[in-house]
Amino acid sequence: MKEILPKILVVCFLGLSQIAFSQSVATEISGTVTIAKDNTPLPGVSISIQGSTQGTLTDQNGRYHLAIPNPNTVLVFSSIGFATRQERVGNRKILDITLEEDTKSLEEVVVTALGISREKKALGYASQTVNSEELIQNKQTNIVNALQGKVAGVTITSTGGAPGQGAQILIRGINSIDVNRDNQPLFVIDGILMDNSTSTVGQSAELRGMSNRAADINPEDVETINILKGGAATALYGLRGANGVVVITTKSGKSGALRAHFSSTYGTEAVNHFPEVQDKYTIGYAGVYNPQDFFPSWGPTVEEARKIDPTHPEKLYNHFKDAYKKGQQFQNNLSFSGGTDKVTFMSSFSQLHHEGVIPFTDYDKYSIRLNTQVKFSDKFTTSTNLNFINSGGDRYNADRFSESLSYWSPRYDVRDYVKADGTMNTYGNNNPIYGASTNKLKDNVNRLIGEMNFNYTPWKWLNLNYRVGLDTYDDNRLRTAPGPRGFADERVYEDNDLGFVYQYTTSFRSLTSTLTASATSNLGKDLKGTLRVGHDLYDRQSRSFGSEGNELTVYNYFDLRNAKTITPTQSAEDYRLMGIFGELTLDYKNYLYLTLTGRNDITSSLRKPNNSFFYPSASIGYVFSQHLSLPPSISLGKLRASYAKIGKDALPYSTTTGFASYTNLPGGITGFTRGSLLGDPNLRPEFTETYEAGLELGFFGNRLGLDLTLYQSLSKDQIINVAVSSSTGYEKAAINSGTMRNRGVELILKGSPVRSAHFSWNASLNFAANRNKVLSIREGLTEITYASQYGYSGSTVTMRLIPGESYGNMYGTSHQRYYASGTVEDPRHIDQSLPMVIGANGFPVRNSNQKLIGNSLPKWTAGFNNAFQYKDFSLSVLFDARVGQDRYNQLSNFFSAFGIAKYTENRNETKVFEGVLADGTPNTKAVFLGQGKGPDGAEYGNGYYRNVHRGISENFVEDASWVRLRSLRLAYSLPKTLLDKGILKTVELSVTGNNLWLGTKYSGYDPETSSNSSGSNVDGFSGFTYPAVRSFLFSLNVGF
Amino acid sequence: MKNITRRLHWYFTLVLIVGLSGCEGYFDLNENPNLVSNPPLKSLLSTTTQKTALNMQRVGGITSYFVQYLASPSAGSSTDTYQETDYTSTWDALYYAMADLTDMKNLASTEGASEYVGVANVLLSYHISLVADTFGDAPFSGAFTGDPLVPAYDSENSLYQTSLTLIDEGIAELSKTDSKIALSGSDDLIHQGDTEAWIKTAYLLKARLHNKLSKQGTYAPTAVLSAVDKSYTSNDDDARMGTFLLRSPWAQVARDNAALVLNGWLSTQLIDQLLGKNGGVYDPRIEKITDKTVNGEYKGTVNGQGNVGGNNTVKDESYISLNSPLTGDDSPLILASFAELKMIEAEAAFRNNNKTRAYAAYIQGIRANMEKLGVPNEQMEKYLTDPKVAVGEAGISLALIFKEKYVVTYLNPEAWNDARRYNYQYAGFKLPLNAALSTFIRRVGYPSSERAENSNNVPNIITLDSPLWWDQ
Repeated sequence: MKEILPKILVVCFLGLSQIAFSQSVATEISGTVTIAKDNTPLPGVSISIQGSTQGTLTDQNGRYHLAIPNPNTVLVFSSIGFATRQERVGNRKILDITLEEDTKSLEEVVVTALGISREKKALGYASQTVNSEELIQNKQTNIVNALQGKVAGVTITSTGGAPGQGAQILIRGINSIDVNRDNQPLFVIDGILMDNSTSTVGQSAELRGMSNRAADINPEDVETINILKGGAATALYGLRGANGVVVITTKSGKSGALRAHFSSTYGTEAVNHFPEVQDKYTIGYAGVYNPQDFFPSWGPTVEEARKIDPTHPEKLYNHFKDAYKKGQQFQNNLSFSGGTDKVTFMSSFSQLHHEGVIPFTDYDKYSIRLNTQVKFSDKFTTSTNLNFINSGGDRYNADRFSESLSYWSPRYDVRDYVKADGTMNTYGNNNPIYGASTNKLKDNVNRLIGEMNFNYTPWKWLNLNYRVGLDTYDDNRLRTAPGPRGFADERVYEDNDLGFVYQYTTSFRSLTSTLTASATSNLGKDLKGTLRVGHDLYDRQSRSFGSEGNELTVYNYFDLRNAKTITPTQSAEDYRLMGIFGELTLDYKNYLYLTLTGRNDITSSLRKPNNSFFYPSASIGYVFSQHLSLPPSISLGKLRASYAKIGKDALPYSTTTGFASYTNLPGGITGFTRGSLLGDPNLRPEFTETYEAGLELGFFGNRLGLDLTLYQSLSKDQIINVAVSSSTGYEKAAINSGTMRNRGVELILKGSPVRSAHFSWNASLNFAANRNKVLSIREGLTEITYASQYGYSGSTVTMRLIPGESYGNMYGTSHQRYYASGTVEDPRHIDQSLPMVIGANGFPVRNSNQKLIGNSLPKWTAGFNNAFQYKDFSLSVLFDARVGQDRYNQLSNFFSAFGIAKYTENRNETKVFEGVLADGTPNTKAVFLGQGKGPDGAEYGNGYYRNVHRGISENFVEDASWVRLRSLRLAYSLPKTLLDKGILKTVELSVTGNNLWLGTKYSGYDPETSSNSSGSNVDGFSGFTYPAVRSFLFSLNVGF
Repeated sequence: MKNITRRLHWYFTLVLIVGLSGCEGYFDLNENPNLVSNPPLKSLLSTTTQKTALNMQRVGGITSYFVQYLASPSAGSSTDTYQETDYTSTWDALYYAMADLTDMKNLASTEGASEYVGVANVLLSYHISLVADTFGDAPFSGAFTGDPLVPAYDSENSLYQTSLTLIDEGIAELSKTDSKIALSGSDDLIHQGDTEAWIKTAYLLKARLHNKLSKQGTYAPTAVLSAVDKSYTSNDDDARMGTFLLRSPWAQVARDNAALVLNGWLSTQLIDQLLGKNGGVYDPRIEKITDKTVNGEYKGTVNGQGNVGGNNTVKDESYISLNSPLTGDDSPLILASFAELKMIEAEAAFRNNNKTRAYAAYIQGIRANMEKLGVPNEQMEKYLTDPKVAVGEAGISLALIFKEKYVVTYLNPEAWNDARRYNYQYAGFKLPLNAALSTFIRRVGYPSSERAENSNNVPNIITLDSPLWWDQ
């Protein structure tokens, strides 16, 4: 098959080269097309001769010339957004036409699966589009973040505020009970499958906020993004689309005069939400001052310390604020577009430099794009899109940064991090800023995404399309830390060890080839049918190499030849998938639409005969407003329903078992060990069934619109690589098992409350709620523990899948509740209504059995976007909400253990804990909260916070709901009258504020941040994260 | 134009047909490029010999707290104070090593490589002992195949029998002279391909197994002694593994501790015994085991108490030392030693009422251990002639044998077996401060991974002071 792709190309080129142009010319007609409303010329209008395939487009001045065969010729003038007009030429040589704007959203055309444009009203499933304007409204550099709050049922989590940091996107929740399977949607750019993985290759990279690969795309290049959510919408993409599809269409040139566009943005940013810290107690333990103590804040009060140590500062530093700096960014974007009626192009160059709020973190991205379309004839067009990207930067381990900050004493200025000789400046504990300055990971990605599309329409009823594309990149990573200098008084930053240099390279290459043929025909007076058949091929290859050199001889010479030991790492993966598909659409009287699809996949990750499987979908759209007579205020009414079954294959090599390299041996000796996965050669494909129903309503000429969707998806017989008892000799086994269900509702409300000559207001509200349930996992397996994060004194929080419960459940230690004799304690759930048990010592009793203490999934999400226009000013305001999710706040656990939290300022108080004793009588014992000997003369040891509070997970799993002003943008366009004479066509100045307001009860950093990488399905931990930022961006946009 | 149309048409049809027909083999990517299906035996030998030693060290990292070689720098640390602690990673490491050993054994059997079969048997036997002596009942007979995915648990007693059988089978295989493939010297990281040495080690393990039954009515000291007779004859015979990627794991503990990742603090129990407190005599081996503190003394940490006396970053306690021949960067891990063998001999002879042999073995054991540690002759002779040590045949006692063996097995998990057999009656041996049990620990709890992944088979939690079958 490898040889076939080139052959296909050759065949196509041969075809191209033989196309000749032969037309018989009779007479010519010309004219100008203008907009009816204000008589401005309209470029790009398609003018075709009725009954033939010949035609032309208007130029930038709305003018056209066309050869016509005879005076009876009827010309059809059409342009998207305008009502189509037909006109007989007669004897005229000049034919001027005005077109009326078409405001009916009914005619809206959307891009669906495989780039097929369809009228929105014909769809039997939900589809939502984000256009260029909305997308760049908040100047997000990561295209995934740019979708935040704008699409119903899509949950986007920017895992942190690091420059270039990855963002996670989920459509309608988590579908797989295997936490290592990708639940994120497929990304398709101009018909090419685009990799959006988040690579954590490289030591500690999983904690360094690596980019999701879609971040490489320049948002300014994008024309529209369509989100395909349900099974019926994605059916043609096959198994790769099982989690939904993000269809990105980039801008293309319009014929006419050359257009140039330049935009430049400067932004500044700072941490948007800090945890609250105590400012009373200084370094030491049990109230005893020790300026070199490990414990940062268990000492005496500042006043007491100053009596002992006059050099103690008057006030403690707020090291959590001091350690972060102001970040800044520069974005520049230059684009050109234009063309003739035969050839159009769009080219762009963009540059981004971004410095983060953690010192020494940054990210740079350069992107260059060329999109061209060539129209060889009315029957044959071809287009080529090429995008080259270079991206990457210095990433730091935010987890270590915040953890080290927790150990750092506020008695000292954390910003004074380096000594004159370049070694770490510290009173004892590791300085986090010194860590950031020396303990490095830098990635550098070179990527090319290119595609070529051929479109051939031999007859009006038949269209053939072939597309071939390539997505390839090299991801190079350099991980370094200097070795010790050997100075007598040197303090080595712990993570730097004896110095190291690690180098990693991943080479990725994927090919996509898609051929579709579609035929349309009238099957009678009222019935129109379209049949599409196609073939789809995806071929992916990935190779990773690494060399890890430890113990440097020259402390700062980061060269593998300077390392004492070198350990290689290596991995490879190939994957191939082919699909054959068909789609039949029937259109009855323009109000009833039926779509049937079928697809058969052949995958390389399963074995014969299980590697080939078929699955169908059906959807129906009923535009009852065109069928029934409704009150005039109802301008649109439509019902939708769909069913789809989607197959899914295994992760590559899940059917294979073997021996892996044993890498713990020094050079000169090699070893092998049993591979960690027990493969199953008999794995069967997994199937997800989705049902979806929807209602669309439009009122008052569609000034108010409603779109309601209900769905359910059920994934059965899942292919999971499940953790198994190590006594099997394996870590994991690939099996078919387990069922997971998602049910939800999505609601979109759109309206134009005000629409006048000078002022307009457009608003859109989206709301979604999803409920997940694990129905079964596996025989003999009661639960799957898929994640855990450390907490002091046994308060580690674990995330488990348990049949009958939801994904995202978090378990940990809790306050013991009082169960009166005769009542049975539920081993897994806490009865919050019961009183706490207080021990004989007067302190709350801990229940060390892990119980359910939270869930990481939101109850509902919503976005509210507003666009105001007043004369030359425009204002957009986007609110975003995510409500009902919990997060384990590891930072808060450390804040308790180290006496950093504000609430620990009560440490020298005496109190009576509310609750009952073991016998059910109320507790009356007063206890001292501090350390050592209390005022009552009793010995309290390490104190309440270290003895009790920090060990109870329940104290640190918090409600992480949030509502935020995601973005606010004010723009001013220079009036056209001012620009009339110059070469400038448009000038716009704007200021954008992101994350201006955050409403949350969460006590850590912004709870949208995550301890896990954007590629992870673990979303319950938000403690030591890279904090989110509030940013202000100033932009200048100039059009020529 | 018509021509072209027709031709294009044809091309598209061709592409369609070629595409649809697919290609035989194109989708058969079942070979995982990251794995091999048939590794040579020697590549499993290097892996398993290293893993065995590292697993011994891993288990030793737990049991050394129970026998109070080590004490945690933080108060109330879970292992230190007998709390039920999750040893998933240790359990996993033991089972993954046994899986490799099983694969090596099976592969070697099919290839007629009896020497490899023998080594696999010996090391499997050792692993079973490590698992069963730590956790109790454990999967073995139904393990390592993946079918079922939830292996049943064998009883402690049957694991002991299996361990013994494997040793005998191992000795038989190693004694064969027609192995199709000889042990690869460079990949055998314990005995460098020397089958005689392996047989001796097998006999030492057999002696251990027989001696483990000292509390049982079936105890046969003669069986111990007959195994001893076929085992080590000098320190050179010791089973040791010194091939590390970077350094000995104990040295890593010492380095981490120096870099304030606190670990490897020696217990008061060990230090006091070596210092001759509790009615003993100053043992010069202390200078080869640890270093003096910043205050110029040897000072242990009380188990369960953690750091005392101000800042825990001040080096005023004794730790695992990089200067010790047992725990330096390049120090081999010692799985079993000639000195230990002599102490087994002393105990079995003593229990067999042969005090002459018992005393002679006791003195030889001390001497061998001191020579191994490089104790200067003068100090060694002084210690060996001290009346509290050189008690003569008449004075030899189990207390003295166990006291000396306690030093010999420093950091080795075998020490915990001895401590349990001896009911922790070492002089001055106390419960850790704030111990979670009212008596000494006898076993550890099953790892959380087994409870999650093999919940129907994992035995119910029993208290950690309930003895194993041979300890009753």
